[in-house]
Amino acid sequence: DFDSVLWVGYRPGVRDNPGSTAAEAVEDLLRIRLKPHEAIYTSKRYCLKGGNLSLDDADRIARELLANDIIQEYKVFSKKDWDLETGIGIIIPKVRLDHKPTVTVIPIHSDEALMRVSKERGLALNPNDVSTIRAYFLRDNVLAERRAFGLSAPTDLELEYISQARSDHCNHNTFKGLFRYRDLAAGKSEVVDNLFATCIEAPTLAIQKQKPWVISVLWDNAGIGRFNDDYHYVITGETHNSPSNMEAYGGAITGIVGVYRDPMGTGKGSKLIMGMYGYCVGPRDYQGELKPHLHPKRLLDGVIEGVRDGGNKSGIPTPYGQVWFHEGYLGKCLVFVTAIGLMPSQIKGEPAEEKTTSPGDLIIMCGGRVGKDGIHGVTAASESFSADTPAGHVQIGDPYTQKKMHDFLLEARDQGLIAFITDNGGGGLSSSIGESACFSNGCVVELEKVPLKYEGLDQWEIWVSESQERMTVAIKPEHGERFMALSEKHAVESTVIGHYTDSGKLHITYDGQTCAYVHIDLLTSQFPRWTFEAEWTPPEMRGLFEPVLSEPEDRSGLLLDILSRPNISSKEWIIRQYDHEVQGTSVIKPLVGKDYDVISDAVVIRPVLESLEGLAAAQALLPTYSQIDTYHMAACTIDEAVRRIVAVGGDPDRIGGVDNFCWPTIQYDPIDNPDGKYKAAQLVRANWALRDVCTAYGMPLLSGKDSMYVDGHLKGRYGETHKVSALPTLQFSCTSVISDITRCVTMDCKFAGDLVYVLGETRNELGASEYYEHFGYVGLRVPELRPESSMKLYRALSRAIQEELVASCHGIYRGGLGVHLALVAMGGSLGMEIDLSRVPTAGAEQDDFILYSETPGRFIVTIDPANRASLEALFGDLPYACVGSVSSGTDFVINGLAGKPVIHLPISELKAAWKRPFGSLI
Amino acid sequence: MVDYFHMTRSETQNRSVHALVLTGYGLNCDFETAYAFELAGAVSTRVHINALISGETSLKEYDILVFDGGFSWGDDHGAGVLEAVRIRSNISEALFEFIEAGKLILGICNGFQALVNLGLLPGFDGDYETRQVALTFNDCGNFRDDWVPLLGNPDSPCVFTKGVTRTELPIRHGQGKFYASPEVIKRLIDNGQVVFQYATPKGEPAQGQFPFNPNGSVHDIAGICDS
Repeated sequence: DFDSVLWVGYRPGVRDNPGSTAAEAVEDLLRIRLKPHEAIYTSKRYCLKGGNLSLDDADRIARELLANDIIQEYKVFSKKDWDLETGIGIIIPKVRLDHKPTVTVIPIHSDEALMRVSKERGLALNPNDVSTIRAYFLRDNVLAERRAFGLSAPTDLELEYISQARSDHCNHNTFKGLFRYRDLAAGKSEVVDNLFATCIEAPTLAIQKQKPWVISVLWDNAGIGRFNDDYHYVITGETHNSPSNMEAYGGAITGIVGVYRDPMGTGKGSKLIMGMYGYCVGPRDYQGELKPHLHPKRLLDGVIEGVRDGGNKSGIPTPYGQVWFHEGYLGKCLVFVTAIGLMPSQIKGEPAEEKTTSPGDLIIMCGGRVGKDGIHGVTAASESFSADTPAGHVQIGDPYTQKKMHDFLLEARDQGLIAFITDNGGGGLSSSIGESACFSNGCVVELEKVPLKYEGLDQWEIWVSESQERMTVAIKPEHGERFMALSEKHAVESTVIGHYTDSGKLHITYDGQTCAYVHIDLLTSQFPRWTFEAEWTPPEMRGLFEPVLSEPEDRSGLLLDILSRPNISSKEWIIRQYDHEVQGTSVIKPLVGKDYDVISDAVVIRPVLESLEGLAAAQALLPTYSQIDTYHMAACTIDEAVRRIVAVGGDPDRIGGVDNFCWPTIQYDPIDNPDGKYKAAQLVRANWALRDVCTAYGMPLLSGKDSMYVDGHLKGRYGETHKVSALPTLQFSCTSVISDITRCVTMDCKFAGDLVYVLGETRNELGASEYYEHFGYVGLRVPELRPESSMKLYRALSRAIQEELVASCHGIYRGGLGVHLALVAMGGSLGMEIDLSRVPTAGAEQDDFILYSETPGRFIVTIDPANRASLEALFGDLPYACVGSVSSGTDFVINGLAGKPVIHLPISELKAAWKRPFGSLI
Repeated sequence: MVDYFHMTRSETQNRSVHALVLTGYGLNCDFETAYAFELAGAVSTRVHINALISGETSLKEYDILVFDGGFSWGDDHGAGVLEAVRIRSNISEALFEFIEAGKLILGICNGFQALVNLGLLPGFDGDYETRQVALTFNDCGNFRDDWVPLLGNPDSPCVFTKGVTRTELPIRHGQGKFYASPEVIKRLIDNGQVVFQYATPKGEPAQGQFPFNPNGSVHDIAGICDS
């Protein structure tokens, strides 16, 4: 009984997870083995009923809701056109490539010729690199060596290899570039040589010298910190913006499953124990005229589901994450994914963080097979989104296959079989083998041995394909047999595809024919640096100013409306779709409070079930501050992540950070990127803040990544296109070890009669605040961090928590004191009476300033009155004050500076407002 | 209240019950399930499904077999369906011997879904092969993680829940709606085979009310045993 039928199926070559598990079951049931050309494919049929639905409506439902034409096809039938007997018939989206694998030689007689080929083939070679590449292949000794293997000009595979490795995604050319920075107000110029070296590497190495818990940083797939005597934890963060922007579900699931391979490929391998997420998207109710590829609502839904399936099906808890809505992300959304792993500190007596390849070691590829999917993903991520972006790099992750591989590799690791391990992510074998061969100084790869999903791939495609769920492992020849037997037991495909050498050469053959022969050290030398012009115009010179705004009268109504703003309100609907209990490790959960529905500052897990030690984790995003000054955006973002850790009881002296930069294009172009110099200066300033705050906090950067080119070109009302650039965004993640999880605290107030304290000073800093944004203003006075005094306060607070003096602790973040007092009260389902006149302030002598300023470095704590003297003794002359108390009723009362109540609301009304935008979503 | 944080395992030498916790193919609650059995006094071992099939491990050496939680085969064709296919097509004989010997089987989450699909539950009149109940997509339409209050049935013959009248457990599933024909439901109730029901925080049956009954399970059923 239906009016129309929609059929949705995958396009050829798109990963069909249900199809492949069905094949496993059929093999089991029928006791057969499918032949290489046999497979099972799935598709979906939707029957629509609704008298007024036209076929056009049905088509729209299929196009805009059920199918994404990048990975799927759909067909629409009216009832009378639908054949009940044959249905859709049999549609086999099998890849048929009637193609003989061919190596093509690329002419390099001039820079222009090579650049032309780069454009035609989508190599995305940087014009600056072209002459270096040509010079290498024209060198006499190189020509002579190559001749011995029948090679002359570079092959397509060789250029693909160089292009992948030189891409900004893999090589971080931007961060390692040279910036000519000019401050237009001060009239001063300086050269900033290598942001990575000066702002990330140098501070972290200096801190590592003082903090022996920093085990391994800056070289491996993820950073390693000591958890306890027996275990280390491993952390890294990634983004998957471009693919998610085109196919939200596929991009996001591939992102989370992909970042999980980083800790798996760190040291000799680690077990995954936690995932985190951050989504920056356009407003969910966007109704403007620009037409993003996917509407933000559909995009966000798809991203949420992708990370849900990727995390849940991997059996890894996903307890923490954040969402930020802003129209700047209409051009390209941001999808941050973070992975934390755990490894024993030693494997068979050897440090688990160490690994190397040696001549003679077998190169083994484990996990999925190779297809055309994901080709040029890395180079596409190094460009902004346009109509020509190849769709082929969108994939669908397969957490099931990866989970099997994860379990297998950990067993192999514990048996001491793994000499080296790394993942196949961006760049595929080209990256994983290219990088691992640097340790032994050479390799020979026999490409015809790589298992393929279907025949007909060119050699270069096998080499750079980003087909997912694969790891590259180095195994001593004597361990080969045991490794393979274990692989079979776990139903994981592993194949020996070559061996490491010390020849100094990357040598690739196909059926005995050499298709690449390149010096391993080619990539580490000789290439010109990228250079950028950076011009900083301070906010006053850009015409920013404080709004002329009087104190509001309806302060209760205002607080309710601020609580209902999308970037403040409850995101419970996302949190509950993610398994945060699997592995049985949750201590401080993402949702806390009497009714388990208020969001925790941070999460704490107990990764080793026998131990009372815990790991706290949290992240922060504050991109709107970039509208005023990215230095303070970065400083406040880092501080927020740190405070979140301190709030639950994390040790401020054992915090490690992870920086994930997402930036619009910073290369100046008078037509395509006229404000490129300003954006470059914004990047420099953010890095300076990173350096300054990490140094002041003594916080190493355990890992970090950058994703540039966060711009999109969107069609407008008249068919014109507009370039939309995202706000310069830094997502900062922190972890810290907790020596005794029984001392952790949550943010909800606990008992009537407890005293409420505000720690830290409130200043007149409403620039780019939620309060100003509510009125449509940006303002000028952006919140500024004072890291030295803040750290003193955090250490005192940490002691108070360790001495169990604190009943609840909550940082004051986006939205300011008013919003966060309300959250503390909502969490405890208890009223509060607060006097604003008692709040420690400096220059914020107005009720709304105190309530909504976003000055960093502040907390709200509630304590048993009996602990008053002990607590105050710990804080000495640091800025703090008792500002009121928790009441036995449910009234939330704030008395203004004039001594009269300015806000008086029942808790239930606060909570209803906070849940209004998304509370009905499940 | 039990101090879970400070619970430790008892001495190994005094333990005589051996529990086998399945792993592999996307199962993912094996470590914590094994740990819980250790806390409860058993010696527990994580064993890959294929180790049972190949004979590397024999079921005979164990007293308790645990089908633990996870996403076996990605849950692509109904939760627990393909795990049941793999077990039935490869080790059903050993499994029935295990049951015949009066040993215990526990299914949690994905494992419960597998037991139902194998037909081990509800096991009316000793029939351990017919599938009579189903677990299907949650009424709320999505995967859900939440802590839910449960009512234990003091009259149930279930060994694992003896003495448990009320408890709270985390649910995390997308396909947890217990469904069966009215006759089967009635029989389960009459036989005392309903082990757990979803409840309100006050300890009354949830009567289908979301989020206490998180998935729309018929009769608030959160767990059953065989007769």
